[in-house]
Amino acid sequence: MTAGLVAPEQAALLGEPGDGADSSRRWRRGLAVPLVLTALVVGLLVYVQTAELDDIEARLLDPNLLLDATLRHLQLVVVSTVIVVLLAVPLGILATRPSVRRFVPLIIGLGNVAQGVPSLGVLVLLAIYVDIGFTPAIAALVLYAFLPILRNTIVGLQQVDPFVIESGRGMGMSRGTVLRRLELPLAVPVVLAGIRTAAVINVGTATIATLVNAGGLGDVIYQGLVLNRLVVTVVGALLAAVLALFIDYLAGLLEQALRPKGL
Amino acid sequence: MISLERLTKRYPGQAEPAVLELDLVVPEGEIVVLVGPSGCGKTTTMKMINRIIEPTSGTIRLQGEDVTTSPPDELRRRIGYVIQQIGLFPHLTIAENVATVPRLLKWSTDRTRARVDELLDLVGMDPSVYRSRYPRELSGGQRQRVGVARALAADPPVMLMDEPFGAVDPIAREKLQNEFLRLQEDLGKTIVFVTHDIDEAIKMGDRIAVLREQSVIAQFDTPERILSDPADDFVAEFIGAGASLKRLGLARVRDFALAHWPVSSVSDGREAALAALQRSTADSVLLLDDQRRPVRWANRQDLSRSSTPLERVGMSVTAVVEPHATLAGALDAMVSSRVGGVVVVDGRGGYIGTVDMGVIMAAAETMRAAAHERALAVEQSDLRAADVAVDLEQEQERR
Repeated sequence: MTAGLVAPEQAALLGEPGDGADSSRRWRRGLAVPLVLTALVVGLLVYVQTAELDDIEARLLDPNLLLDATLRHLQLVVVSTVIVVLLAVPLGILATRPSVRRFVPLIIGLGNVAQGVPSLGVLVLLAIYVDIGFTPAIAALVLYAFLPILRNTIVGLQQVDPFVIESGRGMGMSRGTVLRRLELPLAVPVVLAGIRTAAVINVGTATIATLVNAGGLGDVIYQGLVLNRLVVTVVGALLAAVLALFIDYLAGLLEQALRPKGL
Repeated sequence: MISLERLTKRYPGQAEPAVLELDLVVPEGEIVVLVGPSGCGKTTTMKMINRIIEPTSGTIRLQGEDVTTSPPDELRRRIGYVIQQIGLFPHLTIAENVATVPRLLKWSTDRTRARVDELLDLVGMDPSVYRSRYPRELSGGQRQRVGVARALAADPPVMLMDEPFGAVDPIAREKLQNEFLRLQEDLGKTIVFVTHDIDEAIKMGDRIAVLREQSVIAQFDTPERILSDPADDFVAEFIGAGASLKRLGLARVRDFALAHWPVSSVSDGREAALAALQRSTADSVLLLDDQRRPVRWANRQDLSRSSTPLERVGMSVTAVVEPHATLAGALDAMVSSRVGGVVVVDGRGGYIGTVDMGVIMAAAETMRAAAHERALAVEQSDLRAADVAVDLEQEQERR
């Protein structure tokens, strides 16, 4: 027994320097992404300022305009993702409760349909039958990002070891306590991964919001296309890509911070 | 005390009930082992006691109180629960895991912390080392210990254990079993223990309920009685081959007459040793030192080799047991030694006697006879009870 106690202790002590090196490596890797992204954006701005642009290009690539478009884009992504989280996570929790569990295939099926419909089509339909502007764009993005978050919430809750739940119940936790203290914390990593995926998808999808006059980087890309100015399209697309990578990076940090210790 | 009365579980859509009208009493402070082939309903039966599975009909009493319909969550906080998979909460520290039920019962932080440390100590884990670790940092055996500590947290009078040592390797299992039995000596919990392993049942149980399909009790008895007097072919078959050997594992050396092989003290010299050998039919003499501790086994040839000093003749004494050893342990030592006997010594290492094949055979015979007598006694008391019943009936008729 004592030998058994001492051995892991020593192992942990021996392991510590390795862990330290590991975490500093992780830090360096973590810093690489924002550095590269910043360099990319700075390079882009320098190019826009110094390159010989014609009037139309200069007007479309005005840094203030680009900043506005980017912020608007970010707004579309953040608002739609928050709405999806507020809708899909509770629905996912509900779907895994014993009394409704048999409806899970139906719910997932509906989510699949929503994901399967081309986003462009949804947007056009909304524009024709509802309205144009910010709200229909958000509606389309919500519909589109719904499935990843719903599915990950369901999967995240389903993958919780049933014996963890049984031992919780067996010790006298109510269903609600089991959900709050065991299931949700243990599902957090998978749910967050779903949110991360949805947010990144939304950055891409939000570029078509320009079609319903909702603004964003889609404006830049689309005008570049319409006016046959390749450089404008490329700048818009690059900014969207940088935004996607940046959001992915932030979500990654969030995942690390919120992942329960011990997992 | 736990008592189950006509406890039945029917699953919807299944023709046969999983558990059929089970009557069982688990006496206060005892370990009752439910053992049986897989699918016999033993786990279902156990899970009905804390109503993880709700019984279809029947009554569950805990210390006399009918708990069949009381709120299940409160009931479960009074019953320790250990399952094979342990189900430690991976995102919580060991201390938080152990504190689960105290937290549900809203104990104060100080009281909970003190209790957690006490329990970790009790199961042999240094609190200062393990308190803030996470389950994945522990070995299987350590997790199992934490599982037991967690179940004991609020000092429940009753515990349910479903194959609690099933998921660890045989060596760790043996150790955990021994540790748990030692704990139970002090704790005196009323325990229902489920296993499919008859050897574990024999080792852990004060009483064993051998179950056949639908949790019908084939035999409910002490381990000794189950081994020596199986109620029917089903029980006999379930015990399997080697019931006699298993019974030797329950019998202690101190309870049987020992053989006395010739002994002689080294200081008395070669002639005395030869004389001792001559007086008996045995072919070896056991040489003792001045404190009567066994030194060497020597036969006639060894003794005749006068060039070797007496304390180095023959073979060293390797097979030695103390009186509380089991006969199975003594037999094992005997088989692995080159002399046909095991020396029994007292706590200071002094010679008491010898266990040889004759002792084992005689012990087996004694146990068989005792079992037979007990069986007869039971039968006779049954007969007497029947006589009384007949007398009563006749008396009533006469009136």
